[in-house]
Amino acid sequence: MLSDLAFRIRSLFRYRAAESELDDELRFHAEQQRDKYVQSGMTADEAERLVRMEFGGIDQVKEDCREARGVQLMETLLRDVLYALRTLRKTPGFTCVALLTLGLGIGANTAIFSIVDGVLLRPLPYKDPSRLIALNETTPKVGTISVSYLDFQDWRGQSRSFSDMAAVCGVGFNLAGIDQPENITGAAVSPNFLSLLGLRPFLGRDFEPSEAKAGAAPVVLLTYPLWQSKFGGESSALGRTISLDGRGYTIIGVLPPDYRAPDKIDVIEPIGVWLTGNSSATERGNRGDMFVIGRLAPEATFAQARAEMDGIAARLAQAYPGSNDQFGVALQPIREVFVSGIRPAILVLFGAVMFVLLIACANVGNLFLMRSAGRTKEIALRIALGASRGRIIRQLLAESFMLAMLGGVFGLALAAAGTNGIARLVPIGALAGANINLNGRVLLFAAGAVVLSALLFGLAPALQSAKAGVQSELKDGGRTTAAGAGQNRWRATLAVAEISLALVLLVGAGLMMKSLYRLLAVDPGFRSDRVLTMEMSLRASQYDKDISKLNFWQQTVDRVRTLPGVESAALGTAIPLTDNHSRADITIEGMALPKPGSFPHPDTHIVSPGYAHTLGVPLLRGREFVDGDNENAPLVAMINARMAREYFAKENPVGKRVMFGHPSASTPKWMTIVGVVGDTRLYGLANPSRLELYVPFRQSVPGHMDLVVKSALDPAALTSAIRATVREIDKDQAIFGISTMEQLIVNSVSTRRITLILLGLFSTLALVLAAIGIYGVISYSVAQRTHEIGIRMALGAQRTDVMRMVLAQGARIAGAGVVIGLGASLGLTRLLANLLFSVSAADPLTFAVVAIALVLVAMLACYIPARRTLRVDPMIALRYE
Amino acid sequence: MPVQRIDLPQGTLDLLILRTLGLGPQHGWGISERVQQMSSDVLRIQQGSLYPALHRLERRGWIKPRWGTSENNRRAKYYELTKNGRKQLEAEKDSWNKLTAAVAQVLGPA
Repeated sequence: MLSDLAFRIRSLFRYRAAESELDDELRFHAEQQRDKYVQSGMTADEAERLVRMEFGGIDQVKEDCREARGVQLMETLLRDVLYALRTLRKTPGFTCVALLTLGLGIGANTAIFSIVDGVLLRPLPYKDPSRLIALNETTPKVGTISVSYLDFQDWRGQSRSFSDMAAVCGVGFNLAGIDQPENITGAAVSPNFLSLLGLRPFLGRDFEPSEAKAGAAPVVLLTYPLWQSKFGGESSALGRTISLDGRGYTIIGVLPPDYRAPDKIDVIEPIGVWLTGNSSATERGNRGDMFVIGRLAPEATFAQARAEMDGIAARLAQAYPGSNDQFGVALQPIREVFVSGIRPAILVLFGAVMFVLLIACANVGNLFLMRSAGRTKEIALRIALGASRGRIIRQLLAESFMLAMLGGVFGLALAAAGTNGIARLVPIGALAGANINLNGRVLLFAAGAVVLSALLFGLAPALQSAKAGVQSELKDGGRTTAAGAGQNRWRATLAVAEISLALVLLVGAGLMMKSLYRLLAVDPGFRSDRVLTMEMSLRASQYDKDISKLNFWQQTVDRVRTLPGVESAALGTAIPLTDNHSRADITIEGMALPKPGSFPHPDTHIVSPGYAHTLGVPLLRGREFVDGDNENAPLVAMINARMAREYFAKENPVGKRVMFGHPSASTPKWMTIVGVVGDTRLYGLANPSRLELYVPFRQSVPGHMDLVVKSALDPAALTSAIRATVREIDKDQAIFGISTMEQLIVNSVSTRRITLILLGLFSTLALVLAAIGIYGVISYSVAQRTHEIGIRMALGAQRTDVMRMVLAQGARIAGAGVVIGLGASLGLTRLLANLLFSVSAADPLTFAVVAIALVLVAMLACYIPARRTLRVDPMIALRYE
Repeated sequence: MPVQRIDLPQGTLDLLILRTLGLGPQHGWGISERVQQMSSDVLRIQQGSLYPALHRLERRGWIKPRWGTSENNRRAKYYELTKNGRKQLEAEKDSWNKLTAAVAQVLGPA
């Protein structure tokens, strides 16, 4: 095999020498033979003639010899490539259009594939990530919720299908003393967290088992980016102390550069440090912001683990009915935590770009057919001269491959630019920290796309050309008959395919557009215009006492209210469309006591007076909180409309009483409902409203709140004045999460918006390509039929009749494409279903509008060449023949 | 001419070429002459198939070419068997004999 290859390559390099040797060899034979005939008594002329006859086609013999030597493959490849490049250069218009089309198709595919690769395919940077499972608790009312630390300890102690488990608890810190005070996020983790993931610190040490217990000395590991930005990547950062919430933490290490977590984090601390400051974590009913990561034991399966965890949860529910009755466990492969939100959008876009590539291939295939129509004679001649059909097909395929390869290079350049563009469109965090770039796998994919498209658009025309009948083509009058008809059929089929593919994409984009429109028309329950919001978190030790927190909040909101341009200002927790949520079980006075997992579990907001007014949440009954609802006054609360509906159906809730938690022996802290406000879309516009409960901040002092400011003018202009005000009150206090409510709404639909933008882009591209496709078919057919049209006109046909005939041909193509496309759309848009909002995947209006629009565009594309028939002069058309 | 010529069965051309070269180096024309003589004019090799066959055998490494001078002082391309070629000749001769014997046996009693 190897020697064979060496032989072939040698033959290739000795090509000229071998050719002349072959000439010599065959000439020698002929001469010997002639001599023999002459000796046997023939005349020289007779001998010569006989030898020629015996030899047959000398070129055929040579070609066979070349083939036998195996020079063929290499040598013809090289020759075909050069020939192909020459041909492509000779037809720059064709080449440019084809390259542009292919480049766009392959480029779009490569760009989207780099996202597919980065987000969905590339393994997470942990050891054996497929064995890692995320665990949460569940209740029948709410679904997935956080994990109680005590439950975690029991899970870890009792489960056999996990080799180990670690708790991960979200925390936030005020980082002061480096530059301006800022809020950073982090996680408190079990000391085995990193080893469970199979990671080691990039620098410094891992946590130690002793650091799982309350009272552990405050230490942190920095993420690589934080280490780079705050400590310039200096290893001297190790051992230094940073001030988090006014408390000194020793830096013991740095996480690896490629560390990825589902949420953005800056530092991790051992769970023991967190337990020190959160004594309530030792209550089983306390479920803060914790989830659990487990590694499946070597022999265990996901199903086994789930069954076992169900059993453990059932036992805990029995043992601790007060806190665990009806609580279950949800298991999720770790990748799902990262990508489940974004996967459908990515896959839809990937499908869309594949369609674009198919359309591009159909278009280029059409161009090839059109061009090869002009080459049928050349090809027929070459077949007659002894070229084998395989040889012709190979040569035409070489052209396709060259074209596809150049298109691929162009596409890669587009993809490189496009990937950056797309990455900039996507909000930080939406891609779950994935690294999007053009790596080896992406290049390999692009190469695959090149080969596939070359075969797709090259094979049909090549087969078609090689089939061309030698006889008919070489006959004088055989100008545009049999082969032309076959080609026209191909071309029409391709145009139909293009239109149906484009229709599917357009329907998808149309459905997405309608969804987004409907979504943005949803009433969020508040008025977003001219409202600014920003977060503050009081963590330093000076705020240990409620009274100091109260002072800070009260001063802040009072002073901000007096700033010029401020219409109203208020404080609140868990404002809509942010990631901050707080939910708690409540008891309604006089209700039939449900099981522990089935208590009302509203989202709770701790707010200042004027909150509903500032955000524009309508007050439906009773009153808002007032300054008098303070620490010395009776406890009060507001509820939202949904809660009023569900729990006070026929009665007026104002005056009724509720309390946090479940009834217990200690004195219940009843709160009297004083008002009912409208529902807000806390969890995004697409998610239904939930139960909400409001309490005044002076009666339930929070350490973390949002300042909400309604301004008379552009709200963003107020930012610096507010910052200055806060600095006057506490110079070390960090302000973060500054945003207008309008931005929050826009961000909440960003995945849909980006999906729509890209899908819109791709479907427009598809529409243009399909229009070009049908335009090409009709204009070519008009050119071919000039003669026929001339005859018709000479026989008295009206120009409009002729034009109608041409348009009818276009209409048949467009009609067939639309019908097939509608059928395909009905099947395929179902895959879009979970990206849609209050629009059916088979929305008749969208289908109808898109179909009509596509037919119109197609007919316009046909009209331009059809108009040319008006200019046909029968005399010229007939004389032309 | 009374001699009836037979078309070469598939695959026998290689065997005939190898067999002829087994007698010593020879050029293409010489090979066809030799085969014709040795078969008493029954077998005749077409140039159209002879030369591609020679090039194919060369590529397989069974024969190797060498430029030399013919009896009448012309430059000619001679082929000779390689070691592998000799082995191949034995193998093909063997299987040919088996084939013909078997065919003869089947046809025999009739």
